[in-house]
Parts: sequence; structure tokens; C-alpha cells
Amino acid sequence: MSTPTDALLRYRPWTGDLRGPVHGSLAIARVSLKLMVRRKLFWALYALAALVFFFFFYGQYLVVWITIQTANQTVPVFGARVRVTDLLKFLDKLNLNGSAHTFGNFIWFQGTICMIVLALAGAVLVGNDFHHGSLPFYLSKPIGRRHYVLGKCLGAAFFINLLTTVPALVLYLEAGLLYDWQTYYGDHLRELFGILAYGLALTVTLSLFLVASAVAVRRTVPLVMVWAGVFVLCRSLGSFLVDGQRFHPAWRLIDLWNDLYLVGLHCLGADRSDEKPDTQPALWAAWAVVVGVSAFSALYLRRRIQAVEVVT
Amino acid sequence: MLLDLTDITRTFGDFVALRGVTLRLAPGRVGLLGPNGAGKSTLLKILMGLLAPSSGRGVVLGEPLGTAADGATSYRLRRLIGFMPEADALVPGLTGVEYVALAGELYGMPRRQAQRRAHEVLSYLGLEEARYRRVEDYSAGMKQRVKLAQALVHDPPALLLDEPTSGLDPAGRDAMLNLVRELATDHGKSVILSTHLLADVQAVCDQVVILNGGRVRGQGTVGELCAVRDDRFRVRLQGEPADTTAFRDDLTSGGVEVLTDNGRGELRVVVPGKWSNWMFFKLAEAHNVAVRAIVRDDETLEELFLRTMKAA
Repeated sequence: MSTPTDALLRYRPWTGDLRGPVHGSLAIARVSLKLMVRRKLFWALYALAALVFFFFFYGQYLVVWITIQTANQTVPVFGARVRVTDLLKFLDKLNLNGSAHTFGNFIWFQGTICMIVLALAGAVLVGNDFHHGSLPFYLSKPIGRRHYVLGKCLGAAFFINLLTTVPALVLYLEAGLLYDWQTYYGDHLRELFGILAYGLALTVTLSLFLVASAVAVRRTVPLVMVWAGVFVLCRSLGSFLVDGQRFHPAWRLIDLWNDLYLVGLHCLGADRSDEKPDTQPALWAAWAVVVGVSAFSALYLRRRIQAVEVVT
Repeated sequence: MLLDLTDITRTFGDFVALRGVTLRLAPGRVGLLGPNGAGKSTLLKILMGLLAPSSGRGVVLGEPLGTAADGATSYRLRRLIGFMPEADALVPGLTGVEYVALAGELYGMPRRQAQRRAHEVLSYLGLEEARYRRVEDYSAGMKQRVKLAQALVHDPPALLLDEPTSGLDPAGRDAMLNLVRELATDHGKSVILSTHLLADVQAVCDQVVILNGGRVRGQGTVGELCAVRDDRFRVRLQGEPADTTAFRDDLTSGGVEVLTDNGRGELRVVVPGKWSNWMFFKLAEAHNVAVRAIVRDDETLEELFLRTMKAA
């Protein structure tokens, strides 16, 4: 007499309809995210990202509350009476007022954390596929090489947006509710599209650059070094050349993070005179670098992944 | 028909990897043999739609060979084939069941069905206890099984196995070959087995294709291809070493050529034209040796392979 276990241990045929290769990309993206979420080390960085978000969220609320409720009140500080609004001066740099710079600054901060996580996660996401030979597993399935890249980029993109665009949209919604929402949403529609466009620019550039650099160096430590080189060393070098040595501001273009920031502020419609630091390269040049890095990464990926042998 | 190839040629620049390969194979268990550089890998890639032939035409499981690796025809072809790569091709960080379910989704199965099917297939292959362990922690035998599971998850009509017993101990090898044979005989799967281990082919396959220099040098059943030799025997003896040596010397003086003597009482001999087997017994009785077995020594697959390589 057969038992349920016997039935399970027998081979059973499967019938059903198979779907197109794009669904394969979604599966790759989901598995990539799963692998990233499983790394306990990253949770400290996620917590830091949450901290930054809550700082902006409550900061925005605090500014409005103080402005409206206690603007003219004074409080004692070391024996002297100080106006409450004066205490908020340190927050001015962050522009916690629902303006284009609020969202620009927020995404800049979040993007920094996102960048660190991606640098650490690159090997998990893509490097392992080359290092451990997983790529033939993917490419022997009915998906194309472009579906593989799409899946990996989607995984990175989802993560980038979860840390930058989505919380920025929450801040935008909050700002509207703190002020007169009809006026705010009407007057600040550009910021809404700006957040989405900045998120898109970050997504495309960082995800392509991540996958390309992970394909190139594969292991975590070299990948972190590459990212540190591009986003920290180049940043310091650009700052040293332009601010320290008074070179032409175009030298700051080697700082990809700054280029992305300029592109983001342009999308958000921020006034260029408020950009920090003051000496900045031309906007078109920043756009050209961002587009160039993305295009170069995409071409590099195409070349390297085409060269993978599924059957050796 | 499993595959029907007509005059398939594949070139890479000036190098001709396959020259006019014409093959018609009925569904069943096919062994693909050939030395390194024979064109096996190129043929496998063409069968999976990863490479298009430079000329010639072919149909695999009713699907015409595609003209591009990322074309719809190639995707259709790969859905019909479960490929088990020679390399590890595992995705580190995933459990066995996640890995197999991912393979199912990449083949186009809906997510839930892929998960359910992954459990079924892993149970069938004897990995039910290990399915929640990470694949990188698996033993060599388990890795081979999970690779077979990912090839089997969408229940394809054909399996393409590249060195399935690579790195396995004798018990694991036997178990893997039994599984492959069972899938073919009990569940109607066609199997194309590409291996350097001729014993694996002999144990599993009913048809053999021998490739060398990009050409098909032999095709048919093992019985058809291996020469039947009425003049060669394996003689197993029992007796004292001195007696068996004397027996062997007498055989030689009687015109029998002793090809090998394994030192443990087994001789491979070539008998002269008018030899009768009762002569073995007569000589054995004279030397106080018992003849345990006389078996016709037909050409083995290994000998056939070497003969084919020499002829090429």
C-alpha cells in the first residue's frame, strides 16, 4: 500500500504554460534583493538610512511647528534669552522647508549610504555569478543575456529607490500636509517630477556602474576599493584641485557623486546659486559625465557577458 | 525524433569547429563522445540554441535551430531542454529549494508552481533533508543532484547532461547513473550525455555519437559499433601461480597470443584460426588449473573510441 511519502518520492510530471523571459528578469531581481537582505552587516546601514530619513521627516515637522507655534518666543541659553528661530539656524543648511534643496540634500545623504551598501553588496549581487561560475546557470535558461543584466540592474534599482526616491516622496507628501497642501502640491509639482527624475538618474547610473564594476572585479574588497576610489578619492581630488589649487571647476567633473547631485538639483529645479560648493562645472558637462558613465558601463557589460561560455 | 541535423557546419573565423554534421537520433539515451576540441561543446551550444550554425539546418525536438542566441526560437528550444552544466554553476547564498525554484522561474514557470515543483524534484532526487541548506555547503554528490534537479524542474522532454558524474566517488557515480537511467527508462526523458568517461556512456546510453575533428566518426548503438570478435576471449583461471604460469606458457606455444595477464588469474587471449575452446580445458587439466570462465572478448567502448580516433 503506497503512502503519501512514496508518492512524493516518485517522479511526477509537470504540465503548465511557461512564461516569457522578462519574468526571468523579475525572478533574478527578487533573488538579488533576497541575497542583499540576508546579509546582517547591511542592516546596520539600513538602520542608518532610516535614521537619516527620520531626521529629515521630524526635522521638517519641527521647523514648521517652531515657526508657527513658537516663532516669537525666547528660551534661556546659558543665562541669555535666545529666540527659538535663531536656534534653528543650524538646520538652514539642510533647507528643511519642502523645497527642491530639501529633497536634493536628502537624496544626497541617503545616496551616500546606498552607495556604501551597493559597494559591499556588488560581489553578492553580481561578482559571485562570475567568481562561482553561476552565470552558465542563468544563461542556459530560456533568457537572453540582456535579461540577466536587466534582472541584476532591477534588483539594484529597487534597492536604490527604496532608500532614496520612496522616502523622498514621503517627505514631499509630508511637506504638503505641513503647509497648505493645495498650494504646496500645486506650486511644487516640479519637485515631485524632480524627485522621480533624480531617482531615475541615480538608479540608471548606479545600477549599471555597480553591475559593471562587480563584473570587472568580482570580489568584495576590490569592489569596495573601486567604489571608494570613484566616490571618495575622486571627490577629494576634485575638491583639492578646484578649491585648493584653484583649477578650473571642470576638474570637479571627476567627482561622479557631485555630477549626480548637480543633475539631481537640475531635475528638481533648484537655483544654481544655492549649490554647495560654489564653484561648480557646467550643468551640461555634469549630464554628459553621468550619461557617459552609464553608457560606458552598459557597453562594458554587453562585451563581458557576451564572452561568457555556457558550455565549456 | 530527438534531433535531426543536416550538414551542420560551424566556423569561428578560419577555424571550423563542426564540419557537415548530419545526425538523426530517435528519443533515447545518447552518449556524446569525443576528445577535447572534437566539437562536442559547439554541438551542445547549437542544440541549446546558444549558437547558430554557420550553415546547414536542423530540428531539435520539433523546434528548428535558431539563428540567434537571444531569439524567440532559441528560447523555445531551451525550454524543451534541461541542461546540467559541468561547472558548479550554483548561486551562493540560496538554499537548495530556492535555487531549484529560481531555475523553474527562469524556465518560465509561475513562482508558486516553481516552488512546489522544486520541493517535489528535490524529494525525488533524495535531497529532501538538505533542501533548506545553502547550496555552497552541499557535498559534491549533493551538488550534482541539485544541478540535475534544476535541469529537471520544468519537466523537459530532454536532458542535456555535461559530465554528470564529475567529481563523484564510485557510490555517488553509480547513484547518479541509476537516476539518469531511471529518468530515461521510467519517465520517458531523452538524455544526451556528454562525457569523457566511457564507462558512464556504456552504463547509461543505448546510442553513441563519436565526434572528432568536427566530424561525426561513428553513430549507432554500442552493440552495432563495437566489433564482434570471435577470436578473442577472457579466460578466468583458478590455481597456484606456478601452475597458471605454466598454463599460459603452454597456450603461447600452442599459437595463442596472450594480450594481457592481470596476475590474478585473468588472461585476455587471441586464439588461432582452428582453435577450439575445449583446448583450454585440456591444457588446464594438464596443469592442475581450473577454468572458471571463458567469455568472448568483444571490443569495448574504450577500444572502439581509440580505434575511431586512430582511424580519424
